[in-house]
Amino acid sequence: MAVDRLLVIGAGPAGIEAARGAADLGTEVLLVEATGELGGTPYHHYATLTPHLKETHEAMYPMLEGIKAHPGIDVRYNARVTKSQGQAGDFQVTLVGENGQETQESVGAIVVATGFQHFDPGRETQLYGYYEFEDVITLVDAEHMMKTGKIVRPSNGEPPERVAFIQCVGSRDRQIGNRWCSKVCCGVASKQSIEVKRLLPNAKVFIFYIDMRMYGFWEDQLYWKAQEEHKVNYVRGIVTEILKKGDKLLMKGEDTTMGRPVEVLMDLVILSVGMEPSRGTVEMAQVFGMPFEDHGFLATVGEPLDTVSTPVPGVFVAGAAAGPKDIEDSVSMGGSAAVKAVGLLNRLKRSSA
Amino acid sequence: MLSNQYPEVPLEDKQRLFDQVKHDQRFDDYLYGCYECGICVAACPSARFYDFSPRKIAQTLAREDIEMFYEQMNDDIWNCSQCFSCLRCPRQNNPGGLITIMREVAVNNGLRSTKEALAGYTRIIYKIMTTGTQVSPDMLQEDAFPDWGPQVKEVAQHLDLWRRALPPETLHTTGLSWQVEERTMLELYTIWKLTGVLNMISELDEGLHDIMEEVMDDALEDQGFSVV
Repeated sequence: MAVDRLLVIGAGPAGIEAARGAADLGTEVLLVEATGELGGTPYHHYATLTPHLKETHEAMYPMLEGIKAHPGIDVRYNARVTKSQGQAGDFQVTLVGENGQETQESVGAIVVATGFQHFDPGRETQLYGYYEFEDVITLVDAEHMMKTGKIVRPSNGEPPERVAFIQCVGSRDRQIGNRWCSKVCCGVASKQSIEVKRLLPNAKVFIFYIDMRMYGFWEDQLYWKAQEEHKVNYVRGIVTEILKKGDKLLMKGEDTTMGRPVEVLMDLVILSVGMEPSRGTVEMAQVFGMPFEDHGFLATVGEPLDTVSTPVPGVFVAGAAAGPKDIEDSVSMGGSAAVKAVGLLNRLKRSSA
Repeated sequence: MLSNQYPEVPLEDKQRLFDQVKHDQRFDDYLYGCYECGICVAACPSARFYDFSPRKIAQTLAREDIEMFYEQMNDDIWNCSQCFSCLRCPRQNNPGGLITIMREVAVNNGLRSTKEALAGYTRIIYKIMTTGTQVSPDMLQEDAFPDWGPQVKEVAQHLDLWRRALPPETLHTTGLSWQVEERTMLELYTIWKLTGVLNMISELDEGLHDIMEEVMDDALEDQGFSVV
């Protein structure tokens, strides 16, 4: 007899939408979240959402409240999935809670939505000095600062006059081993450049890039807007090195379209760190015996037409656990995974009836 | 930030010229933002023959790169033929129009490089602004244009006769392309004085300006006009 219950692992945008979708279709949902809060990486780290710059907690509030109030969804906070046995229609999974206590749960299908983690700039092969220079920060650090409504130089608390973003930190780099584009950093950096200019209209803001990748409507919503309305300077060329000069940062690189080497002083440098599979994503691959695709994210079968089925029957993936995703794609995948999982449970129910 | 070709010129002077360009009322319609895609360069006839790039003009203004802008004001803007092939820009920029504005600012401010660039055109400016026509039949001389062939000598010798053979009476001229009505000349003088075009020349070549002003003022005064 198939268990008519879906386990969703991870309560970011993808997991939340998968849980909501399945529960709305009438399937009982167990939603397991490793932290004490719903919302995932954007909710924890991002002050505003791309592309409309809406305050994150406000924008996600209805989504989170909908989950908390849903009678068909059982949320377990501070819990991790450590073991799984059985097969599609009849999995026995082990959850470990905050105090180490284990519980066993029976579920018929699983959606893994364990997401990504930001690249650690200590691993970059250029010399940006993230752990050496206080005024070299990441996109994530900048979001944390913006949550407090300001952008300053961490070294002295003063507003910066010259700010540079460096794109593709930890992405598109064979040396590092990350051959992929992380998809969202161009848009996020452009969004942040607009926010910096709104907070500090007299600041000079530069974005050093290899290719600007702002597909679809992000083109004019973010790229044109930053460049035309806020006079953000997009310079094609990647910085090789950052050095300390006095209390400023000296950036070395090439302005490729002007055909000149560049050595300029900055007050604040923001590294556009990309996406890597999260710890939870790697753990779930082991727990469920799921293979990785070439880049180390969870593999799916039937691409590009099936984005959520993994090679393990009964286990689906949604969001950035399967590769770099923006929030729109993560949520869409969450809905798709819910439909696929509920469809499977319904088929199993009919065949065992 | 990337050019230091003119370190002797104070940054404030460069900034002042940049501000004049940026605050021109056409500027916002001529420049949105630059992809640096190079389609304007691909379309540009001048770029095939000179070290000249309309992309770099748009890019520099978009980036508000004051040093590079000043370098372009001196070294690049007179390489444009103002054909506006660059209007095919996907962002709807107008690099040629930006150059028009930059040229006007360069002339108005009498930049040395602009004086040098335009020095060879003194005679043309004088001729077009005082007579209303530029190329005249008597410029057709054997030694001036050897590539025009041997018949030039024959034509030049009897130029007056050839010209009188043309049916329209207004073309019976040798020192002018055609006979310009006096009333038309007075209107042109008035326009050049009132719009400030004549004044632009004063920063460029004061002597030329004074001669032309005298020609215009005398002609207007003879007909009882006073344009101040």
